[in-house]
Amino acid sequence: MFQKRYIAHFDLDSFFVSVEILNNPSLKGKPVLVGGYERGVVAACSYEARKFGIHSAMPMKKALQLCPHAIVTNSSRGEYSKYSRIVTEIIHEKVPAFEKASIDEFYCDMTGMDKFFGVSHYTRELREYIIKETGLPISCGLGSAKFIAKMATNEAKPNGFLEIPHGRETDFLWPLGIEKINGVGKQTEQHLKTFGLYKIEDIARTPKELIEKYAGKWGESLWNKAHGRGSAEIETGWEQKSMSHENTFDKDYTDIAFLHKEIVRLTEKTAYGLREDEKLTGCVTIKIKYSDFEVSSRQETIDYTALDDQLIAKAKDLFNKSYQKGRPVRLIGVRFSQLIPFTMQMSLFDNNISKLNLYKAVDNIKNQFGSELVSKASSLRKKTK
Amino acid sequence: MKFIVSSSSLLKQLQHISGVINANTVLPILEDFLFEVEKNKLTVVATDLETVMRIQLDIEAKDSGKVCIPAKILLDSLKNIPDQPLTFNIDKNFAIEITSDNGKYKVMGENPDNFPKEPVSDDTTSFTVTASALITAINKTLFATSTDDLRPAMTGVFFELDKKGMQCVATDAHRLVRYKRKDVSCPKSDTFIVPRKPLNLLKTAIPGNGDELTISYNSNHLFVKHGTTQMSCRLIDARFPDYKVVIPADNPYRLTVNKSDFQSALRRVSIFSNKSTNQVALNISGSELQLAAQDVDFSFEGTERMKCQYNGEDLMIAFNAKFLIEMLNAADGDEVNVELSTPTKAGLIKPTDQDEEEELLMLVMPLMLNQ
Repeated sequence: MFQKRYIAHFDLDSFFVSVEILNNPSLKGKPVLVGGYERGVVAACSYEARKFGIHSAMPMKKALQLCPHAIVTNSSRGEYSKYSRIVTEIIHEKVPAFEKASIDEFYCDMTGMDKFFGVSHYTRELREYIIKETGLPISCGLGSAKFIAKMATNEAKPNGFLEIPHGRETDFLWPLGIEKINGVGKQTEQHLKTFGLYKIEDIARTPKELIEKYAGKWGESLWNKAHGRGSAEIETGWEQKSMSHENTFDKDYTDIAFLHKEIVRLTEKTAYGLREDEKLTGCVTIKIKYSDFEVSSRQETIDYTALDDQLIAKAKDLFNKSYQKGRPVRLIGVRFSQLIPFTMQMSLFDNNISKLNLYKAVDNIKNQFGSELVSKASSLRKKTK
Repeated sequence: MKFIVSSSSLLKQLQHISGVINANTVLPILEDFLFEVEKNKLTVVATDLETVMRIQLDIEAKDSGKVCIPAKILLDSLKNIPDQPLTFNIDKNFAIEITSDNGKYKVMGENPDNFPKEPVSDDTTSFTVTASALITAINKTLFATSTDDLRPAMTGVFFELDKKGMQCVATDAHRLVRYKRKDVSCPKSDTFIVPRKPLNLLKTAIPGNGDELTISYNSNHLFVKHGTTQMSCRLIDARFPDYKVVIPADNPYRLTVNKSDFQSALRRVSIFSNKSTNQVALNISGSELQLAAQDVDFSFEGTERMKCQYNGEDLMIAFNAKFLIEMLNAADGDEVNVELSTPTKAGLIKPTDQDEEEELLMLVMPLMLNQ
């Protein structure tokens, strides 16, 4: 017999907005949007803004059409990861095993805690403790599998707690629409609805083979989920595969000097992260999104390095090779992959050690005084404010 | 135009030059061989605009003419046709019909006037070298060239010529190989950088024997001639790094090891190293050399000990094992000397016994050990 698993899922409610409100309490109770002003998308929106039909990932322009008086902000940008870290630290301290699924989402394995405290009681207390320590609203779901915990969280929002007791999974799941299952997107939803599957119960009552036929490879796990069976494995040893930064501009650019400047800035930023994680990269990718949303990306392998000058040279080279001159660019991204633990191959012609020491010194300044403070002169941006 | 040629000798010659042709070219005609027929001689040319190769063979032909024939389909068919005389018939529209004992094959050729022109060997300096000397020089250096096209000078082999000899140098900034030959003499002191591809092609097109080759060069091109086989290529227009200053003159410690034992030990231990860095740490103390590698991600670990002669202080230094294995491959003889100083400075590798006519020196930078 399987051991009964207890998985708790924590999700900070409209995380970016909550951080903004924390730093500027006057925003409370107002429709607040976090994201880029001109062309970006909504990264998060307050519950007041959601009433207007705004949801995250919606283009900012459209959101402002729906709710012209919404307040757009991202002034606490540097603070998000700080708060995320505080929550991570609390969870790390209080929970046997956890997985950080994103900046504001955590899965915790509470299995075994029932021997000492009631799992339900302990999870509630943990949630209240996080709220007390950070001042941020957080929702939590508790269930026998990861997806059940997450769905419970979604139902518990905003700022709530919902437990699905063992054996009662189907009571919770079956009345819900199929779109509530984690992983069922717009397309799958439409597709399944054409077969008359509207509620999770419908899926559960259909033979497994048919669901597999309708939903392809994913069918089996979908059917299992409809019966309340899903993975409870917490991935703690998650290894980062790549690092990247990208930027959507406030308008389209064709100016090569400006685009180069952006590449330098993004590469510098990503290389800083690389050194902070004590990693080297063996592959650089440049992503260009043109004004018509066509995306071109080009990558090349390089000798393993974490040095700005080598990475910038390669990033610029890749950009020059793939950029179609004169075409307006909307977004540029830089990604490093094939990450390995720091092992520096010394060079005959460059003094890698002194270069590394230079970059590390700059990194130290960033760590102490903020990452926006020091940057390459060629990547300096005019202050708009 | 019509000519008759032996299928096997045509295939053999074409295979010497077919490596020039790139699989995906921008210009479709670069996927063709240029056939030139004149007085019972057939000349075939292949090019990628950078490198041109040309061979010649005897045929039976009454008239003369030219045509471009798609290389892949011609090679594929020749590989499958048993040895026999083949008749090629080419009409005014460059349609080619090949007749064999087994049947007839048709393929559309292209207008030979559109085939790129070869570089002219104007204003050249020439010298001669044996085929084996050139092939050896290529084999001992080519592996150390860089593939980073941001540093074009390092993507080829640097030739330094003078009256007293020929010296070939290759480096990728992590290691360097310098191979000297004293049995070659060039009328002038000159230097140039030859790209990898033509050097690789020469290895297959030229037998490594005592045949004499003629090498000519001018400021832009290199020309190599071996009997009826000719190659020309564009030289790399870049400044080779000042490598002489990085060769340490006074590495005080000398490690002497049996080459094949060292190489086999490296091969075994490096299996357990991190696959990206191939880091193997050498721990040398007294007359014992310890090799150690590990891959933390998979909990792999490998260590070996072997006998050595060493005259220095105890030293721990790490290298990319792949580099060491490749360099040991290039060294002749049973033993090598590894000259070292500190864990962050270059190590020198030399064969213990060297021929009088040649001198090989290799240089490798260490990996920085994690503190």
